[in-house]
Amino acid sequence: MERSFESWEKEVIRCIRCGSCQNVCPVFRELQAESTVARGRVKLIRGVITKDLSLTEGFISKMSLCLMCKACVANCPSGVKVDKLVEAARKEIVDQKGLSPLKKLIFRLILKNRWVFDTGMSTGRILQKLVFRPGPGGQGMLPRMPLGIDQRRLLSPLAPKPLKTMYPQVVKVLNPRLRVVFFTGCMINYIYTDTGRAVINVLNRLGIDVVIPKLQNCCGTPVRMNGDYETAREMARANIDVLLKEKADGVVVACGTCGLALKEEYAELLQDEPRYAERAKLLGKMVKDFTELVVSLGDFKENIGELPLKVTYHDPCHLVRGLKVKEQPREIIKQIPGVKFLEMKNPDTCCGSGGSFSLTHYELSMKINNRKVEDILQTGAEVVVTGCSACRMHILDGLHRQEVGMGVMHTAQLLEMAYDAKEGIPKGVNSFSQS
Amino acid sequence: MKPEIIQELIKIVGEENLYTTLEDLYCYTYDASFLKADLKDLAGVAVYPGTVEEISMILTLANREKIPVVPRGAGTNVSGGSVSIGDCIVLVLKRMNKILEIDKKNLIAVVEPGVITGQFQREVEQLGLFYPPDPASLAVSTMGGNVAECAGGPRGVKYGVTRDYILGLEVVLPTGEIMTTGGRTIKNVTGYDMTKLFTGSEGTLCVITKIIVKLIPLPEAKSTMMAVFSEMEQASETVSEIIAGGLVPCSLELLDNIYIKNIEEYAKVGLPVEAGAVLLIEVDGDSEILSKQIGKVEEICRRLGAVQIRVATTKEEAEDLWLARRSAFASVSRVKPTIIGEDATVPRSQIPVAVRRIQEIAAKYNIIIAILGHAGDGNLHATILTDEMDREEAARVEKAIDEIFVLTVELGGSLSGEHGIGRAKSKFITLQTGKIGLEIQRKIKHALDPNNILNPGVMFGA
Repeated sequence: MERSFESWEKEVIRCIRCGSCQNVCPVFRELQAESTVARGRVKLIRGVITKDLSLTEGFISKMSLCLMCKACVANCPSGVKVDKLVEAARKEIVDQKGLSPLKKLIFRLILKNRWVFDTGMSTGRILQKLVFRPGPGGQGMLPRMPLGIDQRRLLSPLAPKPLKTMYPQVVKVLNPRLRVVFFTGCMINYIYTDTGRAVINVLNRLGIDVVIPKLQNCCGTPVRMNGDYETAREMARANIDVLLKEKADGVVVACGTCGLALKEEYAELLQDEPRYAERAKLLGKMVKDFTELVVSLGDFKENIGELPLKVTYHDPCHLVRGLKVKEQPREIIKQIPGVKFLEMKNPDTCCGSGGSFSLTHYELSMKINNRKVEDILQTGAEVVVTGCSACRMHILDGLHRQEVGMGVMHTAQLLEMAYDAKEGIPKGVNSFSQS
Repeated sequence: MKPEIIQELIKIVGEENLYTTLEDLYCYTYDASFLKADLKDLAGVAVYPGTVEEISMILTLANREKIPVVPRGAGTNVSGGSVSIGDCIVLVLKRMNKILEIDKKNLIAVVEPGVITGQFQREVEQLGLFYPPDPASLAVSTMGGNVAECAGGPRGVKYGVTRDYILGLEVVLPTGEIMTTGGRTIKNVTGYDMTKLFTGSEGTLCVITKIIVKLIPLPEAKSTMMAVFSEMEQASETVSEIIAGGLVPCSLELLDNIYIKNIEEYAKVGLPVEAGAVLLIEVDGDSEILSKQIGKVEEICRRLGAVQIRVATTKEEAEDLWLARRSAFASVSRVKPTIIGEDATVPRSQIPVAVRRIQEIAAKYNIIIAILGHAGDGNLHATILTDEMDREEAARVEKAIDEIFVLTVELGGSLSGEHGIGRAKSKFITLQTGKIGLEIQRKIKHALDPNNILNPGVMFGA
């Protein structure tokens, strides 16, 4: 039996409307209307359940105004799962009203079908020059024409080749001590291949065989968060099959969002299918963020070269509050000789990206981002390190808008640079891809 | 609400500071109280003015048209004083959020009503100054709301409540006039004390637009301890003894057995689950005298039979002790989905009787009532753990709450220590004010608000 929307009433009544969420909700901070904070959303959802309200355009738009950053959940004295409630509401909207034609096309034709996605992405690489112009200083690119996304939006271009085509299915080392599957996720595969390369290089250096299954798909989170559970389930089942087939010691991710999907959300999504629910749990136990895996191998500290850099770290929402990974990236950064780690104010406040939120609510998402950029600049750091490609793109966009030429990279890239420094491979802060 | 009125309001505050859609207005039908409002209570409009002049224009308009106005800050009110009441104007003061002045020489500050209490405290503390009132919601509550409700908090035992720190106000009267009260001096006896009248008036007499607060020097250090007692009576007696001994802790928090059991189960902080009561005691002041003070408190706790005493010697240890108190709410919210926090306050010496009688009431109606309190000032928070979807139990809960109110007044206490009367307790007000007392308060209300437009229904009922 699939869970009915009405059954969430048990969860909504747990909200005592104390208002603590006002202190942490990034959307509320900008908009200030009571309907834009967690307790307002919960009240609206309750209103639909009790039939005071219905699935009006107004309700749909309020439900879209959530970054899914989980800050309210972590801060809620009663532990109300606001993220699950908003997701349930979005699912109810899709169940009752259907998907918009554009979302249908993206979710059901492209994201779900790996070959369409791959073909589209490789054609897209050529076509993107027609619709995007290069950003200033050769960093990123800006839309040439209205695409339904803001023309000021700095997007990172597609990589010349997807990561999966750059490597063999298994990247082997001599006498491996572990064999792990690398779930790349879409952004690392198609855009930030430099992050993917760093993950592979670092793991190899630590004596780990890295398996990159060609048949892995998008994790499905963008689809699920927009309420299309049917497609999300199909994608989950496909990934579970592909990842479990490899008989590896673990599954490593370099993205908190993908990681959380694999670790916990697949099991919830598939709870009504006993066989897959079990397999999802099995997979869940194997999932580790890149930094978790690295830190668990105490010897990662050996052979680190010196990097004379001032570094700050941004906590991605789904990494810090989803996978609960907070200390490991900092430990890695602090272990690098020469690096001066400068903690920013509110490092775990959302950068405003929220996945597709930044495309549909660009103005608002940049306002949220401006606060993040300000906190970053206050530290005086030269490089922002983070653990999520979406955060990386969004923060880079924010820095670009404020005309700050600062680099943003994944933790894996910083560590790769440090290992390279030891081996005398020249790689200054400006040589890594900033786009 | 008539479209012409909305048009006039748009002219005053601007379109971007006004909300009229169903979904937006639905979110002003609640505050943090247990009071239920539904679609028939939906406001006609919510406005976010930015200046005192705009507020004056809004109230003039509302008074002319006899439209009810419900002032609102962060909506953390726990007595139903800021919920919408049908076709009214919800007046949200959050845009007026500037700290206008912190005057170190005169130890005062001037703030707008939308300033967040906790942020204001951080600002003054950076300058070595202190604004003590600490309601549980201080991370989000507004100064204006705190003044309107006369908010309290754990530090009340030593430092008093909001009222004790308000020197003067600028307000807009229900008829639209702008008025100032009090001033920038500690001593001020010119005319009636309108500042005190407006502080705690729950949005029924005026809209507060500027607040002059008194500050005090920030105490140098704090020292924290926890004492566990097998009986509630011992804990209560300890409280009385500590205060009789001339020691005034800055917090004196009491947890009953239901809380102790649940906190231990939830947070594993090392409390003996069979204990009858836990006292969490904090003293502050000059660092030299602190250890002497905490030593005296410890001695009293021991003499009165504490079975376990933990004194924090470092900041981290103090944090550990506070963890029990801070986990209190989360721990009970896992027992039942609906938590109702009551606010009955009795003279300190009556705490053991009050606790026992509340437990009897809980047994009579077969519901769970846990007690947590600011024991130093007799402010007990009886916490009812229930499930609002269980209609039959909800009816029993309502009866139990009624009995607690009667009990409180019987013991010489107050219907509300710090939460306010609002709409939730208005039917009980005569229990405490008496007929004449209520009549006089009504006359004051009528003198200032002849058309009864400002927060009608609050305090005096409909």
